[in-house]
Amino acid sequence: MNNLISGFDGIYWYPNSSLLRIEEWDGEFTVFQPESGKTHFLNEMGLRILTVLDRSPATLEAICQELSAYFSLQLDAQFPGQIIRTLQRYEALGLITRVKENE
Amino acid sequence: MKVEQLSLDIFRTLITGSGLRVKAGPFNLSIQTCLSSLIDQLYWMYSHYSLVDETEIAEFHVRIIPKHSIRRPLAQFIQFQIDGRSPFPPVPAEQALATLEWGINLAIAMRINHLLLFHSAAVERNGHVLLLPAWPGSGKTTLCTALMYRGYRLFSDEFGLMDPRSGEFLPLPRLMPLKNQSIEVIRDYLPEAVLGPEIHGTLKGTVAHVRPPQESIERADETAKPRWIVFPKWLADAAVRLEPLPRSEAFLLLASNAFNYEVLGETAFNAVTRLIQNCECRKLIYSDFDSALAVLDELTTDG
Amino acid sequence: MADIRADHHRLLLEAIIQPTSLIGYDNRQWELLLRLARRARLSGYLAAKLENDGLLDNIPVRAANLLRSSLIQVKKQQQSVSWELNRVMWVLREHEIPVIVLKGMAYLLQDLPNASGRMFADLDLLAPQENLGQIESGLLKKGWRHHALTDYDERYYREWSHEIPALVHPERSVEVDVHHTLSSPLGKLKIDPLPFREAAVKVKDAGVYVLSPEDMVLHCAVNLFQNNELADDLRHLLDFHEMLLFFSSQQPFFQKKLIERANQLGLGNPLFYSLYFSRLLLQSMIPEDLEKQLDRQPAWFARRIMHHCVPLALLPQHPDHPSRIAGYARMWLYWRSHWLRMPLYRLLPHLVYKFYLSVFPTRAGTSKQK
Repeated sequence: MNNLISGFDGIYWYPNSSLLRIEEWDGEFTVFQPESGKTHFLNEMGLRILTVLDRSPATLEAICQELSAYFSLQLDAQFPGQIIRTLQRYEALGLITRVKENE
Repeated sequence: MKVEQLSLDIFRTLITGSGLRVKAGPFNLSIQTCLSSLIDQLYWMYSHYSLVDETEIAEFHVRIIPKHSIRRPLAQFIQFQIDGRSPFPPVPAEQALATLEWGINLAIAMRINHLLLFHSAAVERNGHVLLLPAWPGSGKTTLCTALMYRGYRLFSDEFGLMDPRSGEFLPLPRLMPLKNQSIEVIRDYLPEAVLGPEIHGTLKGTVAHVRPPQESIERADETAKPRWIVFPKWLADAAVRLEPLPRSEAFLLLASNAFNYEVLGETAFNAVTRLIQNCECRKLIYSDFDSALAVLDELTTDG
Repeated sequence: MADIRADHHRLLLEAIIQPTSLIGYDNRQWELLLRLARRARLSGYLAAKLENDGLLDNIPVRAANLLRSSLIQVKKQQQSVSWELNRVMWVLREHEIPVIVLKGMAYLLQDLPNASGRMFADLDLLAPQENLGQIESGLLKKGWRHHALTDYDERYYREWSHEIPALVHPERSVEVDVHHTLSSPLGKLKIDPLPFREAAVKVKDAGVYVLSPEDMVLHCAVNLFQNNELADDLRHLLDFHEMLLFFSSQQPFFQKKLIERANQLGLGNPLFYSLYFSRLLLQSMIPEDLEKQLDRQPAWFARRIMHHCVPLALLPQHPDHPSRIAGYARMWLYWRSHWLRMPLYRLLPHLVYKFYLSVFPTRAGTSKQK
């Protein structure tokens, strides 16, 4: 777990757009991204990540802590790996961008 | 004036000449062909359609033309043309009717974006639309045919046409292609259904078209608001079940199967959001028509 | 010029030159115009003109519905290609590769008048040859894939043509074409991409470049009269016409600079034809003697043939009554474009192979994918 997080040391993620259209359907979410014209289907965890980043840019570690507090989860070894995969997916979709601390 | 009021001779003169112009829901079609077997079939299958005056705009100009195949010089082949262009390879002449219907549907799906086009059957009862979206194993055309002969008004077996501004659905009654086993199923269950010739060897197997009832064509300008979305699934020997469907799943299925959801962008997102908010979403599992019709009747009767 | 006087040609050209005249069209004229505009891939263009003038509600409702449908589709295409550029630049963000955006997307980036309602589906980029490998592997690593290609096509692209095979991201399906030259390296007209790259201008906030105004107009002319087969290509002549007018109104000596640049780069012939035909078909306000200042001009005989053939190819055929003469003109221009792009010893086998495929489409060599 520490290895994984340390690989992303000093990297912050932030959302590309604050113009996302979000509709809730009993704990599931449809999200419209105006720049790409795509609709994304997210669960509560997926949306929470975007909400956290929308408040302020955050590192992987900070995101994990926020999520575990919000969903009352015990952080296990797999958790940061899952979040990293979600972040990379969001990045490829153009929902979020990464930036290194010193840039 | 309707097609059935023309004599076959005049019908033939029109369709072999500058084209037969008929109204199909919100669109006008111009159809031209010299293939006599197709002319006879259309005279019968299109009998309820209204003719359109030369001075009205027709949106789609299609033709079925004879074609020689370099590879099979002796067989009789035909080709579908739209505006003088041929989007598909030639097929045997017996498949002319299926190719024509399929080609017109494709043209509608490719060209129309002022309306949102769901891939769904749509029928009306008690003034509201029941959508039966396409998904694997849905048999939407078959179920739609059964509903149509049991008091529901046909909108379409293929397109849920929605005006995204008003939220109204528009009827587009066209021939309904039954495939393979469904043909026998409908012949048994609805002996009164008017079917066209059985066309063998198409890409989708054997096809026979149901002629839309006269009433559905005469009332094709009467739009209606949607109220129920039912995803049907035929399952052998299953007891009938009408279950709630999570709304997020209904959204995903409707949007990902629509012909132009992506093209319409935010307009489509808003329209589908409103549609799901205003409709009851269900999943129907059935194995026989009687019980399926009973639960759908119940769903569409109450207040 | 019997060809230009054909009723359906006049109908389309009048609509393009004077869109406000469309208000007076009757339904029959509308019906034919809509079919012609679709063939010429100009329905989005007409729709955008009418929308800008607030006239879409003043025409027959069926015509307006079809035009709106086209405009919605075009806007989606433009968004898709813009977004594709955004994603490509995301992949290339860490490499310092000067990427020049070409054609439709370049017009859109600068908000040129010909961009509104203009249909385009591909993203065309120009980059230095030494960076192509880097770009290709970067995109492949992030999920882009080559189109399924036959071995023959792959060899055609890599050795004989001037592109790496088109790349497509399977979730978005916009074709990305990365070029390193502006014409076929085998063609009769050699175009050195270096002066184009050196003159390229940076687009504000986009992190990419576009060709300079003169080069953009010249590139359009080269594509029309050097690379394309001209069939139903009126829209590219319209690009030329609109850009020429726009840049001329922006810069006092634009036309003079354009001629000088064409002379400097040896691109007199394609510019000559573009000026000539946009005046002839689109009534461009260009001084009569402008193309006389070009160092290189087509010979008198070639000019006569082109004068008769080019309008028949550029302007769409009547959808119900195709003219045989126009068919021959188009065939001749098809041969001409291949002749200009490839030497005969490559051209003949290429055309024979393409004909073979048109008869036996299933026998194309093994399909290579991914």
